[in-house]
Amino acid sequence: SHIFKKNRDLTKAWKGKTEQLLRVDEHDFTMRPAFGGPAIPVGVDVQVESLDSISEVDMDFTMTLYLRHYWKDERLSFPSTNNKSMTFDGRLVKKIWVPDVFFVHSKRSFIHDTTTDNIMLRVFPDGHVLYSMRVTVTAMCNMDFSHFPLDSQTCSLELESYAYTDEDLMLYWKNGNESLKTDEKITLSQFLIQKFHTTSRLAFYSSTGWYNRLYINFTLRRHIFFFLLQTYFPATLMVMLSWVSFWIDRRAVPARVSLGITTVLTMSTIITGVNASMPRVSYIKAVDIYLWVSFVFVFLSVLEYAAVNYLTTVQERKERKLRERFSCSCGIPHSKTMMLDGNYSESDANSLAGYTRNQMGPEEEKPEKMVVHLAMSNESNSSRKRGLKGHVSLRIIQNTHAIDKYSRLIFPGTYIFFNLIYWSVFS
Amino acid sequence: SKREIKMRKLDSTKVRPLKSEQLLHIEDHDFALRPGFGGSPIPVGIDVQVESIDSISEVDMDFTMTLYLRHYWKDERLSFRSNKNKSMTFDGRLIKKIWVPDVFFVHSKRSFIHDTTVENIMLRVYPDGNVLFSLRITVSAMCFMDFSRFPLDTQNCSLELESYAYNEDDLMLYWKHGNKSLSTDEHISLSQFFIEEFSASSGLAFYSSTGWYNRLFINFALRRHIFFFVLQSYFPAMLMVMLSWVSFWIDRRAVPARVSLGITTVLTMSTIMTGVSASMPQVSYIKAVDVYLWISFLFVFLSVIEYAAVNYLTTIEERKQLKKRGKASGMYSMDAVQAMAFDGCFHDTDVDVDLSPFPEPCEESETRASQTNISSVDTPRLKRKRSLKGNVGRIILQNNHVIDTYSRIIFPSVYIVFNFFYWGLYI
Repeated sequence: SHIFKKNRDLTKAWKGKTEQLLRVDEHDFTMRPAFGGPAIPVGVDVQVESLDSISEVDMDFTMTLYLRHYWKDERLSFPSTNNKSMTFDGRLVKKIWVPDVFFVHSKRSFIHDTTTDNIMLRVFPDGHVLYSMRVTVTAMCNMDFSHFPLDSQTCSLELESYAYTDEDLMLYWKNGNESLKTDEKITLSQFLIQKFHTTSRLAFYSSTGWYNRLYINFTLRRHIFFFLLQTYFPATLMVMLSWVSFWIDRRAVPARVSLGITTVLTMSTIITGVNASMPRVSYIKAVDIYLWVSFVFVFLSVLEYAAVNYLTTVQERKERKLRERFSCSCGIPHSKTMMLDGNYSESDANSLAGYTRNQMGPEEEKPEKMVVHLAMSNESNSSRKRGLKGHVSLRIIQNTHAIDKYSRLIFPGTYIFFNLIYWSVFS
Repeated sequence: SKREIKMRKLDSTKVRPLKSEQLLHIEDHDFALRPGFGGSPIPVGIDVQVESIDSISEVDMDFTMTLYLRHYWKDERLSFRSNKNKSMTFDGRLIKKIWVPDVFFVHSKRSFIHDTTVENIMLRVYPDGNVLFSLRITVSAMCFMDFSRFPLDTQNCSLELESYAYNEDDLMLYWKHGNKSLSTDEHISLSQFFIEEFSASSGLAFYSSTGWYNRLFINFALRRHIFFFVLQSYFPAMLMVMLSWVSFWIDRRAVPARVSLGITTVLTMSTIMTGVSASMPQVSYIKAVDVYLWISFLFVFLSVIEYAAVNYLTTIEERKQLKKRGKASGMYSMDAVQAMAFDGCFHDTDVDVDLSPFPEPCEESETRASQTNISSVDTPRLKRKRSLKGNVGRIILQNNHVIDTYSRIIFPSVYIVFNFFYWGLYI
């Protein structure tokens, strides 16, 4: 009877209590509306407030959303003249029946409770209920890193009733595909959020039956720029640095060796740095391919110099042996030597195979030639210490230098080719 | 009240006036007394569906699992009259008013029942009093891990369920469907492990103070994926050892080069070893990966020692030769390449290199060298500074080359044999 005494005078406070209005005392919250009867349809509406974080190591994501339920409970209907809904304090939900929606595959979740539980309960006169809460949930997302960091991940949040099967509670998206809204300013630092969309399906549990399951799906595309700056660019620079070694004089042994070794060390550090923030997966990632191929290039530049140095030493030894045999003055007259190598030269074969000594001479000699000028002497039969030996050394020097010469072209060429293939495959 | 129960309306548009309290006789139900109190033990069947294994932590030696835990028992006090023998699903908050089994997880560190949006609890009562009680729980439990074969290891972990208060005389815990009680979600996967098998077993546990309890076990075996560690630890270590072999092919006169090569590979090996042990517990025995890394470290270390031996023996021979020729040690005439290898400065000509412990900087030695060179160039007959010395040098060269020549073969072959043994033993 109190119900009919609804005052139009708004300055007067409402004298009735909710218990009387909604007949909460008679309301058994353990029984769903239409208990024993047909399934009760519960509409769901979601507004995503933010995507807080995506974790590769844990393979999960954290999302904050407003979750709204719509259903009809006759027991809560009340007479009203202007058909307006009444909003009640959130603590009333403890006394009425509410759907028990949970997030499948969630790791942690909570309802925000500052300053009070973020729960809204709104009851319409005909018994329709709108029940809204603000929830943060951390849910699993299976990620595939075979294209990392040029990858796209598809994650989904799943809603389901815990106790009520298909026959007791029908969960559905209230407005179809428009049930899912997002705040305008949803952004992540590392990802571009491509799209949000909803789907629904049935899930079967062998012990308990069929349940309605609703999905919130979204696709994330990773921004490549950070990894370009952090990983790809340093690796490329290290490989280019190792090519510098081919342009340094091959007699500078400590220089070339330490250049090669230090670039190997730096590549190793870059590789360790990338794997620190990644899960330990059992397949190779795109970034691994790039780093390991770069590592192989750098490694090969060290081996290349070891080969150059070794061949140089071998020739030097041969050269020395030959010199032993021709040690005395087996001089060949000028003309003959000129026929041998076409250069006007009087030279003393240097002691080492392959090492040239460029002195001031009018002729411009190619560095490969082992022609060495000591002095412009007038002697016509200066002992030609180099007859046959010079020829041999000539050939050898060209061989060793050849490795460096070819490397200057082959290494950069192959690396650029690899880059072309890599970026076209993965982009 | 019996009359009210029969007044069950088949018209589902009307709200059921009955309450669950009346349906299930909650007021008469004393939840402190188990069914069959004072009589024979009550059998409680258990059924588990594993939703996910969230993480396995080596450092903490535990694992985190999310599962649906279902209990089945019969409580006559909850039976109700029904003509179609269908079960009734009640809200989870009803369990506060009835008796439920007190199953807990032995050796668990942390656990919680998910409570978003409401407590994830299902209560289903059949007309004859059979009850199905389901929970969604995340539990972190201890797992004793043995790392002596890490990372080629397999870990056996188990989750144990037991009643806290009721021993074997009061409550009999058993797997409801034998070994098929344990089911898993289809896409249960871990990034680092391969889940070999899930199996259910049961046993009795004895507590001296309180008696015998039924204990149920959920056992699973995890096999670690080796690929990540091959890429992260084994492969870099192997490459570092191969890089240290490069030193045997470099001219042994290149002292700074060979020493810096050896030392930098030692440094990189050390970094790799530190990186591996950062994510591991500090156990008191040696792990398989430790064996590999320390033996590789030993190889790299021995290559440095080998070069020290080569260099020492070279120096001894040279000193012997010096004594033979009666020349005071100090200024030692070397050819250009040897000089460059010795002090890292670029030399164009034969120089007199100072063998004192504090070598001069490069420019000074260059000027001195050019001066000596000019003097020697003027003579038409070049003094061969090296005839005897060259001969002796060759003798020395051959002796020490022996160590290098043998090392080039011994080191790689011993390392390959070690690899055969290692992988044959552990895989």
